[in-house]
Amino acid sequence: MAVALKTQEIVLNMGPQHPSTHGVFRMVLTLEGETIVDLKPVYGYLHRGIEKLSEGRSYLQAVPITDRLDYMCALTNEFAYAVAVEKLADIKPPERAEYIRVILAEFTRILNHMMAIGFLFNDLGAYFTPVLYAFRAREHILDLFEWVSGSRMMPNYIRPGGVAGDLPEGFIPKAKKLVDHLWKFADELDTFLSENEIFLQRARGVGVLPPDVAIAYGVTGPVLRASGVKYDVRRAEPYSIYDRFDFEIPTLPNGDVYDRYMLRLLEWKQSLRILEQALEQIPDGPVSEKVPRRLRPPKGEVYGRIEAPKGELGFYLVSDGSDKPYRFKIRPTSFVNLGVLREITVGHKVADVVIILGSIDITMGEVDR
Amino acid sequence: MDLENFLPFLGEIVARWLKGFLPVWLVDVIMMVVVGLLIILLMVVVVMALTLLERKILGRLQDRLGPNRVGPYGLIQPIADVLKLLVKEDIIPEKADKLLHFLAPVIIVVPAFMVWAVIPFGKKLVAADLNIAVLYVIALGSVTSIAILMAGWGSGNKYALLGGFRAVAQLFSYEVPMALAILSVVMAAGSMSLQKIVEAQSPLPFVLLQPVAFLIYFICGVAETNRSPFDLPEAESEIIAGYHIEYSGVKWAMFFLAEYINTFAISAMVVTLFLGGWKGPVLPSYIWFFIKVAIMVYVFFWFRATFPRLRIDQLLNFSWKFLVPLAMANLLVTGLVVKLDLGYWGKASAYWAGNILAGGLALYLLGRFTPKKALA
Amino acid sequence: MFGRGLLKGLYTTVKHGVMTYFKGYKHPFLKRYFTEGPAPRLEPEGVGLFTLQYPEEKYAMFPRFRGALMHLRDPETGQPRCTACGACALACPHGVIEVIAEGKGKERKLVDYRYNLGRCVFCRLCVESCPYGAIEMSHEYELATYENKMVLHLEDLLKIGDRSGVTEQGWAWK
Repeated sequence: MAVALKTQEIVLNMGPQHPSTHGVFRMVLTLEGETIVDLKPVYGYLHRGIEKLSEGRSYLQAVPITDRLDYMCALTNEFAYAVAVEKLADIKPPERAEYIRVILAEFTRILNHMMAIGFLFNDLGAYFTPVLYAFRAREHILDLFEWVSGSRMMPNYIRPGGVAGDLPEGFIPKAKKLVDHLWKFADELDTFLSENEIFLQRARGVGVLPPDVAIAYGVTGPVLRASGVKYDVRRAEPYSIYDRFDFEIPTLPNGDVYDRYMLRLLEWKQSLRILEQALEQIPDGPVSEKVPRRLRPPKGEVYGRIEAPKGELGFYLVSDGSDKPYRFKIRPTSFVNLGVLREITVGHKVADVVIILGSIDITMGEVDR
Repeated sequence: MDLENFLPFLGEIVARWLKGFLPVWLVDVIMMVVVGLLIILLMVVVVMALTLLERKILGRLQDRLGPNRVGPYGLIQPIADVLKLLVKEDIIPEKADKLLHFLAPVIIVVPAFMVWAVIPFGKKLVAADLNIAVLYVIALGSVTSIAILMAGWGSGNKYALLGGFRAVAQLFSYEVPMALAILSVVMAAGSMSLQKIVEAQSPLPFVLLQPVAFLIYFICGVAETNRSPFDLPEAESEIIAGYHIEYSGVKWAMFFLAEYINTFAISAMVVTLFLGGWKGPVLPSYIWFFIKVAIMVYVFFWFRATFPRLRIDQLLNFSWKFLVPLAMANLLVTGLVVKLDLGYWGKASAYWAGNILAGGLALYLLGRFTPKKALA
Repeated sequence: MFGRGLLKGLYTTVKHGVMTYFKGYKHPFLKRYFTEGPAPRLEPEGVGLFTLQYPEEKYAMFPRFRGALMHLRDPETGQPRCTACGACALACPHGVIEVIAEGKGKERKLVDYRYNLGRCVFCRLCVESCPYGAIEMSHEYELATYENKMVLHLEDLLKIGDRSGVTEQGWAWK
């Protein structure tokens, strides 16, 4: 005799205060037992109006504001903004500045990827160990940033027209030493985590993002490449001097949480390859073009984009000829990538939500802006 | 008189002195109460030491120092923590089931203490040498799940409810292989009394004769105490603190106390059942007991620092589809060997061969069905 | 075989745990910290302690470090170099700086310089805009106070400048 038990769905508000929502992000989950029936993301808790703020400021004054977009990798935000402004005002930064930018951007990429891996494991419940090992290596990278720019996380260093100042003496050997260490650290994380059976069970086949869905949602960055789509702005539309370096765009076929983890590790190694070449080739010379402090670009509009660690980061600027941008629009990486969350979460368990979110790797500063 | 007999001797002196002016039954009651209080006191001290030790060990494994501010080496830290917990406001949620919310911490802490009545600390140091001690321990272990469900339901919080559900599913599933693993030890030792089991482990401890049972029991023990990688009921990153999310102050301390006592008790049970209990050369027996337990506790902390957490369905699959059949196979091997007339060393090698065969095959099969690393 | 990855993980963590006793900052008997004076930055190594016992151990700041703003004095006269031109106030993206001056044209004189610490983002744009080399970022980063003292005035900024011993703007950026 079969008796149909009446069950009830639970609505669970995960966040905005929750240890693994990576900031003030809220998910309204509808649960059937432990299984997720529906997910509604709610964001905006960290909205600071960065776009509007920047429209009220000069082109130079907006640089420290872009730092606060994705606070994990401030230097690539500045890089993207500088690329956009240079396109708008038709400035060509000097050679050495380009190399400095690439070096710092690739260090930022490694930093972001190691933190993403660390926090993914925090979400998985490995009590802070991988994240602390990552913090340790990150500390060395941040030391370099502080040495160069004077600030660990909000450098305000890459400016339209070049960089704020030349590299300090002794930077190149120190950076080379750090690159050697980061190779070792990548291998250590690989042995520590990649083969862990619990991790494999948790991450394989969870949150699978098919390539067509990824493209339809406009997902970019490691999340897209883990789904097997070979798209990277550094190769698709080379900006700065990325066409000079020999590196590969790694892709993985499955598009699950494990592949997103593994792809970050592979990309990290490619970044190290770029760094090795850049640190070898860097020329002497000036580091900044003469750019007026109150830059007045000609009328027009421009979209400048780079491959930020989390994906394509673009700035759409409209100039009306004055010293302030008429429109300052950001194409935030995390926000666009987060759109796919519901698509790949429904049907999984509560425990999977946090690791899928962790594997997408968002920063709320960029999502809410 | 040597160190070995010091504590029993002391007890006897006090009892004799009391018998001078009190009736015999009253002396017995007093002695029982004293022993009970002593055990409770010991456990509270042990828990305080464990909290510090855990944070210290985790710190070291994560390249940092751990607590080092309060007192030399941070040794006073647990006292500071206890003081803070005692003066903290006790919050009862408005929508909570008041009675269950109040009772849950009480119910969880009582069996945690009661287990210690039968665990032999030393050759002569055991509060009650029950002849069904093993059954007693298993029975007390299952009371915990009721308390956790009460806490989860009574808190009136969805996270707590999820934690309670998870706890019940997990504890029930892991009790089965745990009992089966203990059963093979009981069959090999021929007794359910923990003292007899310890004595049966000479010259070889059961970990060498029954490695598979040891492994199963240890894994189940980790799951029973809700510790990483089986800490789903209180998963920090998913359901925040699970069933004790709505508790604060002293009530929260009760959960904490119970968890750490259980950790210590499971370590003690592993030591008693598999590692030869208090047996050891030179040093007094209770010192050996605590050394072995400390090593097991270290392994618990080590696991916590290393492993990510399992998911609830994987956890249950692991229990029912892997541990239970393996424990059954092990039981079969043990049953066969017990009945064979081989002499001690013959039996030992037969156990060993059977265990290695069963365990190796099981691990191989499990490896076949685990997802593989990417072919990058 | 199942368990190989788990054992590898256990090996990694215990290696780190053991190496903390040998590498990194040493912590001798009954002493929480080792370095007297500023601590050196650690060389990149995979193992060993890496945490700093903060109030006792402190890193030496890099020359370019950007802490609170400070005013510099003219070494000859001992007066502040600031001419109250207001370029810094214009350059600041957040309106942190308020220059209060008296008089017009050549007579213009600095009366007070209000620096709102609570709103400053330490971007150094004000320093870069200063044509007279009158301000610079100091290395002071412990800026919390017990009183509600968010706004620093000219004398506070001069005091910071005197403490720092810096005489020239942009000395670290050469």
